[in-house]
Amino acid sequence: MTTQTIALTRSLGRPNFLSGLRALGAVMKREWMIFLRYPSWFISLFIWPIIFPLSYIITARALSGRDGIGMTQFLAATGLHDYTGYIAIGTTIWMWQNVVLWNIGFSLRNEQLRGTLESNWLSPTWRFAYLLGSGAPQLLSMLMFLTVSAVEFVLVFGVQFQGSLWLTLLVLLAAIPSVYGLGFAFASLVITAKEANAFVFLVRGLVMIFCGITYPISILPDWMRPIANWLPQTYIIHAIRSASLSTAGLPAITGDLKILALFGIFWLSFGYLVFNWMERRARRTGAIGQY
Amino acid sequence: MTEFAIEAKQLVKKFPARPGTGDKKAESESSRAPKRRRFPFGKKEPKTMFTAVNGVDLQIERGEIFGLLGPNGAGKSTTIRMLCTLLEPTSGTAQVNGFDIVKQANDVRRSLGTVLAGERSIYWKLTGRENLEYFAALYHIPQAIAKKRVDELIERMELKERANELVEKYSTGMRQRIAISKALLARPPILLLDEPTLGLDPQAARRVRELIAELKQEGHTILLTTHYMEEADLLSDRIGIIDTGKVIALDTPEGLKRRIDQKEIIRLELTGWHDDLADKLKSIAGIENLTTHQQGEADLWEVNMHAQNSRTALPRIVESISGNGTRLVNMNIVKPSLEDVFIHLTGKALRD
Repeated sequence: MTTQTIALTRSLGRPNFLSGLRALGAVMKREWMIFLRYPSWFISLFIWPIIFPLSYIITARALSGRDGIGMTQFLAATGLHDYTGYIAIGTTIWMWQNVVLWNIGFSLRNEQLRGTLESNWLSPTWRFAYLLGSGAPQLLSMLMFLTVSAVEFVLVFGVQFQGSLWLTLLVLLAAIPSVYGLGFAFASLVITAKEANAFVFLVRGLVMIFCGITYPISILPDWMRPIANWLPQTYIIHAIRSASLSTAGLPAITGDLKILALFGIFWLSFGYLVFNWMERRARRTGAIGQY
Repeated sequence: MTEFAIEAKQLVKKFPARPGTGDKKAESESSRAPKRRRFPFGKKEPKTMFTAVNGVDLQIERGEIFGLLGPNGAGKSTTIRMLCTLLEPTSGTAQVNGFDIVKQANDVRRSLGTVLAGERSIYWKLTGRENLEYFAALYHIPQAIAKKRVDELIERMELKERANELVEKYSTGMRQRIAISKALLARPPILLLDEPTLGLDPQAARRVRELIAELKQEGHTILLTTHYMEEADLLSDRIGIIDTGKVIALDTPEGLKRRIDQKEIIRLELTGWHDDLADKLKSIAGIENLTTHQQGEADLWEVNMHAQNSRTALPRIVESISGNGTRLVNMNIVKPSLEDVFIHLTGKALRD
C-alpha cells in the first residue's frame, strides 16, 4: 500500500466543561423539538387535567350525601373544606409521577428501539447527560401541564386556591429530585429488562393506594400508614394541598420540605447509581444494541 | 503516536448463551464457564457461554482502508462493537488511535467516526441540518467550527436543497448520507463503516463508494465491513476474513486471490435444479466448494464450483446434469474472485 496523504491523527472535538454543557443543552433541545413535532401532546394537555379527577370528584359528591352533609367528616379528617381541590391536586401529582415513569422511564428504551441510542453512546459525551437532558424538556412540559391543570380546576371545578403560589412552587421544586430520581432509576432498569409495564403499574398503584390521592392517609388501616410514610409522593401531595389550598403558610409545610429534601438526595443518587450500573453492565452484555 | 491506527491483540468476547438454543458451540464451552453461585435450595446450572470473538489479532495501518469480511454471525459486528467501546472484551486488548478501548474509552470515541446502524442511527423527526448540529455538539466541536463543518458536509453530500426538511421525508440514500456526515463531523482520524451501502440503490451505493475512496485520500483510516465482495475488492487495501470468531485470512485482495490461483472456477446456469445433483457434482474428482443460488424467482440457478482441472472435470459435469429435467443454459470458466476465495476459506458464500 502506498499513500502520499498525511494520515489524520486528531479530531476537531475540543472537550471542556463548556462543551459538556453545550452537549447537555443539545440533548434538551433535541428532545424538546421532537416533543413539539408530535402534536397529540396538545390535546392531552387540556383533556387529562379534567378527565382524570372528574370521576373521583363525582364519586365524592355522590358519597357526601344530600347538601354535602358528609363533608363535615372530610373537614374533620383533612382540615380542608374544598374536597374538589383536594382530589384534583392528589390526582394531578399521581399523573405527574405516572407521566415521568412513562416518559423518562422509557426515554432510553425508545432511543434503543429507534436505533439512535447507539449513535449517542458512541459520542464522547457524558452518558448521564442523555437522561438528564431528556428530563429537562419533560419537566418543562409538566410545568405547562400543571399550570393548565390549575387554570382548569378554577374554571371547571371552581377550586379556590387560597394558599400561596410561591410556596406551591417551592414544594414543586423540592419534589422534583424525588420524582425524577425514580424516573432515572426506572429508565436504566427498562434498558436492562426491555419491558417494564408491570413495574409502572406497580409503582403507580402504590402511589394511588398509599399516598392518599383522593383521601387522607389517616383513614388507612394501621398497617398501611407506615408504608405511606416511606413514599415521597405522600409528602408532595400533602405539602401542595397545604401550600395551595390553605392559608397556613410555610410552617405547615416545613416538615414535608425537609423530608422531601432527604428523599430527593436519596432518589437522585439512587437514579445515578443505577444508571452507572446499567451502563457498565451494557458494555459487558451488549444490551445497548439489543432491541 | 503509535504506528497503527487500530491494533487488537487476542480479543475475545463471550456472551451467556440463551437457554434452549441448542448451540453446540456454546454447550461445548459450558465446562470451561465459571460456575454460578450457590443458592439455598440447590446449585444453579453452570452458565453456558457463547464465544462470538475468539482471539482476534488485527493491525490496521494509518491511512489504509481495511475490509473486514465474514458471513453472518462470524463475529465481525462484535469485533467492531468492541473497537468502538460499545462492548468490553472478555479478554485481550485493543488500541484505537493509541488509546486503550477499556481504560481510555472516551479518547477512543473522540478518535472515531462510526456508521453502525445506517439510516436508523439518526433522528427522523429532526431535519438533516438539526441532526448534524446535534451530533456536532455531542462530539464537542467548537460552535463556530461546527457551523462551518455542517454547511460543508451538507454541500458535499448534495443535500443543500433538502437540509431543512425532516429526515423522515428523505430517501434511504439521503438518510445514509446524513449518517455518514454524522461520522465525518469531527473529522475523526478513524472511520468505522459497518455495511455503509446496505439497502442503497446502485447509484447511491456507487456514490458512497466514491466517497469512501475520497476519504482515504483525505487521510482517514477506514475499517469497512460489507456483504458486497466487489465493494471490498474495489476499496480495500487489505482484507481480513473472519469466521467463527477468528481471523482466518488477512492479505491484500490480490494476495488473497493468488491463494487459489491454481484453481479454476466453473460457473453454470441451469434450470431444473434438484438437490441430488449437488451430491453427484461433488463426487466428481477435483471438484470442491460447490455453491448454488437461485436467480430471481424464475427456475434459473447459478452453480459455482472450484476445480483443479476444468478440462478433465467438464465432460463429467455435463454428463451429470443431463436428464431428469435439468437443462444447461450457460457455462463459463472464470478467474477466481474474492467471493471464490471466501468460499474456499469458509466453505460458504458471504450471503449465507
